[in-house]
Amino acid sequence: MKKIHIVAGLLMAGAVLLFVITSTDFGTYYTFAEAELLEDGRNVKIIGQLSKDKEMVYNPEIDPNRFTFYMTDEEGDERMVVLLSEKPQDFEMSEQLVLTGRFRDGTFVAREMLMKCPSKYQDDEIFVRSEI
Amino acid sequence: MSEIQYIGETLWPGQLGHLLIIISFVSAIGATIAYFLAEKERENPVSNWLGTANWSYVIHGVSIFGLMAVIFYIMLNRMYEYAYAFNHVSDDLPFKYTFSAFWEGQEGSFLLWMFWHIILGWVIIWKGGQWRPAVMTFLSLIQVFLTSKILGTYLPFGDGGSKLGINPTVLLRDVQDAPIFANAEYLELITGSGLNILLQNYWMTIHPPVTFLGFAALSIPFCFALAGLWRRDYKGWLDPGLKWGLFAGFALGTGILLGSVWAYEALTFGGYWAWDPVENMSLVPWLIIIAGIHTNLIAKSTGHSIRATMVFYILAFCLIVYSTYLVRSGILEDTSVHAFTEMGLENQLIFFILFFLILGLTLFFMRYREIPNPKKEEDWNSREFWMFIGSMVIVIGSILITYSTSLPVMNAIMQFFDPFYQSRVVEDPIEHYNAHQLWIATLMALLSGISIYLRYRGANWLNYRKKFFTQTGIALLLTAVLTWATIQWIQVVAWQYILLIFAALFSFIVNMDHLLFRIKGNLKASGSAIAHIGFATMIIGIMASGINKTYVSSNVFAQSGMLEGMEDEDLLRNIVLIKNEPIFMRGYIATYETDRFDGNERSFDIRFVEIDEEGRGLDSFVLSPNVIYDKNFTQIEAANPDIRRQPLIDIFTRIARLPAQQIDLESAQAVEDSLRFETYYMNLGDTTFTSRHYIVLEEIHHSILHPDKEGSAEDDIALTLKMRVHSLDKDSAFTALPGIALRGSFVFRYPEQIDPLNMRIHLADTLIEDLFHTEKELNYTEFQLAQGDRFQYDEYEITFLNVNQEPWHPSYDERDGDIALSAILEVVNTETGAEYRTEPVYMIRDNIQSNFKTMVPEAGLHFRFTRVDPNTGKMTFMVAEQPMKIQNLPVQIAENVPRSDFIVLEAIRFEGLNFFWVGSFMMMIGLLFSMIVRLRNKM
Repeated sequence: MKKIHIVAGLLMAGAVLLFVITSTDFGTYYTFAEAELLEDGRNVKIIGQLSKDKEMVYNPEIDPNRFTFYMTDEEGDERMVVLLSEKPQDFEMSEQLVLTGRFRDGTFVAREMLMKCPSKYQDDEIFVRSEI
Repeated sequence: MSEIQYIGETLWPGQLGHLLIIISFVSAIGATIAYFLAEKERENPVSNWLGTANWSYVIHGVSIFGLMAVIFYIMLNRMYEYAYAFNHVSDDLPFKYTFSAFWEGQEGSFLLWMFWHIILGWVIIWKGGQWRPAVMTFLSLIQVFLTSKILGTYLPFGDGGSKLGINPTVLLRDVQDAPIFANAEYLELITGSGLNILLQNYWMTIHPPVTFLGFAALSIPFCFALAGLWRRDYKGWLDPGLKWGLFAGFALGTGILLGSVWAYEALTFGGYWAWDPVENMSLVPWLIIIAGIHTNLIAKSTGHSIRATMVFYILAFCLIVYSTYLVRSGILEDTSVHAFTEMGLENQLIFFILFFLILGLTLFFMRYREIPNPKKEEDWNSREFWMFIGSMVIVIGSILITYSTSLPVMNAIMQFFDPFYQSRVVEDPIEHYNAHQLWIATLMALLSGISIYLRYRGANWLNYRKKFFTQTGIALLLTAVLTWATIQWIQVVAWQYILLIFAALFSFIVNMDHLLFRIKGNLKASGSAIAHIGFATMIIGIMASGINKTYVSSNVFAQSGMLEGMEDEDLLRNIVLIKNEPIFMRGYIATYETDRFDGNERSFDIRFVEIDEEGRGLDSFVLSPNVIYDKNFTQIEAANPDIRRQPLIDIFTRIARLPAQQIDLESAQAVEDSLRFETYYMNLGDTTFTSRHYIVLEEIHHSILHPDKEGSAEDDIALTLKMRVHSLDKDSAFTALPGIALRGSFVFRYPEQIDPLNMRIHLADTLIEDLFHTEKELNYTEFQLAQGDRFQYDEYEITFLNVNQEPWHPSYDERDGDIALSAILEVVNTETGAEYRTEPVYMIRDNIQSNFKTMVPEAGLHFRFTRVDPNTGKMTFMVAEQPMKIQNLPVQIAENVPRSDFIVLEAIRFEGLNFFWVGSFMMMIGLLFSMIVRLRNKM
């Protein structure tokens, strides 16, 4: 057994350890109903779609870090969401939302949001000169 | 349906482009085969395959360049009949962004990649010596694969055939099915969709070419490794392989670095690195090539680690293709902020990766036993031992990053077999990656320090041992002192971070010592010292900027993932700044002072005053983040940050949000629709009470006094009501100057908004009708006066007192070359004794006489100053009497107007970010320097 193999083996063991430890950072996507049942207050990710017909409230004069809207998760469950940030640009155009947050006092509070918008340049719409 | 004869299309570029694509594809295949045969016959050439091959490769290159020229031609001439022009340029796209638009599309970026392969291939043909045929066989083969991405042919396999590549010179009507193509003159009707506004900056012009140069450069060590295996010359390739490896490390590293400068300076992420999958997957191949460079050095110096070097170079190449796949397949859509869409080339890219991975590894394992490996193992006290361990650490770090980043791919694979598989996702990416890369970086830093003091093969260890321990001891001592000083500045608490800082400083000190006192002008060794010093500096920068990142616009230290136990409230980032109202933030007083337009760019000037604990001002500066509206001002398209850079502190600001009225037309309309206007009838001098305010109408002016009025416009009729608005409950008063004017046949309204009172004041349109009638019905009387003369008009006595050479009139804007004067007229009502003064203005501009009328509203008199007789000195005036309707003036007032004079600001204070930039820049310099020194020694 070469020394370098021993050190390499130790490194590998360390790597596996890191692997196992950091794998606890992997979660699955939750639904509102599942997230509501969690009691440890950890943050989870929920995928869903913006309920475009429901009210969206952002009143920066009152609180620039509070934006509320409704999202429907993949189970079709529609809930009000509080996002601790500004209302993002082109929010109404979003096709899909990925929220990171947790339930607090019965409301889902999101600290982060990833928004998927239709790519402006890939849709099949033909821009007609007269409209521009 | 019969064929439509389309009008206005230019078809030759498409046909030429298609021809060039076919030539380039065929010549790449030809070059591959010819190089292959040239290599086979290398020992005893029968025919000149090498010449044929080189010519094929040149033809391949020329045709790709030609194709790029054709695409530029199409884009520059805005030929929207071509899909690529339609999708990426528009009439209003500035010329300088044509390059950006070229590589915005996937086809263009593949071409850019090929472009660099061609250039690098030519360098090898020119300088590559005896390695040419073998290396170029593989490089040509890679080009065959890449060219197939732009081939755009259909293969008769699978459901309805499968597409092989996308032709960038295809016509729009061939790829899109829209009713508009039933119109033979459709070209008249369409316009391009243009370049994403976020990409319209100079970073987009330079970042992709450099990154793709890095991509292309990674192929060369890979080709050399394969060539070495194929030729069974396991040592000869190490020298050119190292030079190209250094070049690839430099080019790709610079590309990544430019990307992170871009992210920090021009995008609004508020940082330079976010562990985004797209960033990760360009970092990983770079890390692997760095590991490869280290093992390559070991192999050159000691003969160990040849196998590892080969594997690393093979992996680096395959990973760069894998990264291309991840970025372009759309598989990352739930986890990445980079919005890329599918292109239908996913299977082709998978085949590309697998082909070269299997080719490389098969060749490697077939030859595995033949690859020389010294019997004697590395000693623990040798440099190569610890360098190899260091490379292993880098690779392990890369594996961890790749594993986590590839979760979406694993999810897709699992779901293919089990549709009910629960997708897994990294819950907090920044925390996750920091958690393990912390240890990797610590080990890397320690090893890059300690191995410098060791010698290859542990030469002369017994005599050297004492010196080694003395040096290391001194270095450790110095490091401890420096670490103490550093944590006073950065204020770290977590021991893990202190350890990392210690490791980085150790590497810094050892490499400094090495650079300054040991190698003394040995250029060959100084490159690595510079790069290692850079790495250590970069780590310090990461620690300082990450740990001491403060949301100035909030109240808490924060970078999620760097501190434990973050509460949601700690993440609040935004603050509202109301115009001209200073707000105290963490350590600063910020005032939003003004905003201004430059084209469709709107900048907001925010003054920051840094204050100490007693509240004394230390330093004052202005930052101007902006937003960019689209060309018609219908909506905001992008926001650009503004950063104040100082040696140790950066202040980063961005506009997070504007009042709804200013975001887009729709929101503005919604706000307008929500306003409730009440009409009040006002009289001069009277006080009007609304629900929460009282208003005194102080003056009536027959011109526009509103500051929004552009000076040059001449009104036919105008009215301004100057009023004083008082709040019933607050002790504050505001002056409002709402106006209305008729200019030609257009009515111009100058409403007044008083944001602090949520009030908007309009003058009713009916006012203009009343005024208009007045003006038409005026019956002027003309009279001439010399200075001091009088004229009696009904009960009024008009005296021409004096001439004013510097006239003022609300509608008059002074311009050079004007001849303008006003006459000071005194008007006395002989019945009441009331006195008034007025100054009508006479002007000659560009040889045209004109005048500005004045009024004495109380008397209902209108004056004009129409002519000057230079001979007699007499002036001609006109006067008319028409008591103006100055009673019950209708004014519309809304008192539920949302404020429009604020911004939502995010401001971040970074410390020591320049260590990051300087350090990473030094790493690149070190790599480049090492390569240049080695090139000069021997090609």
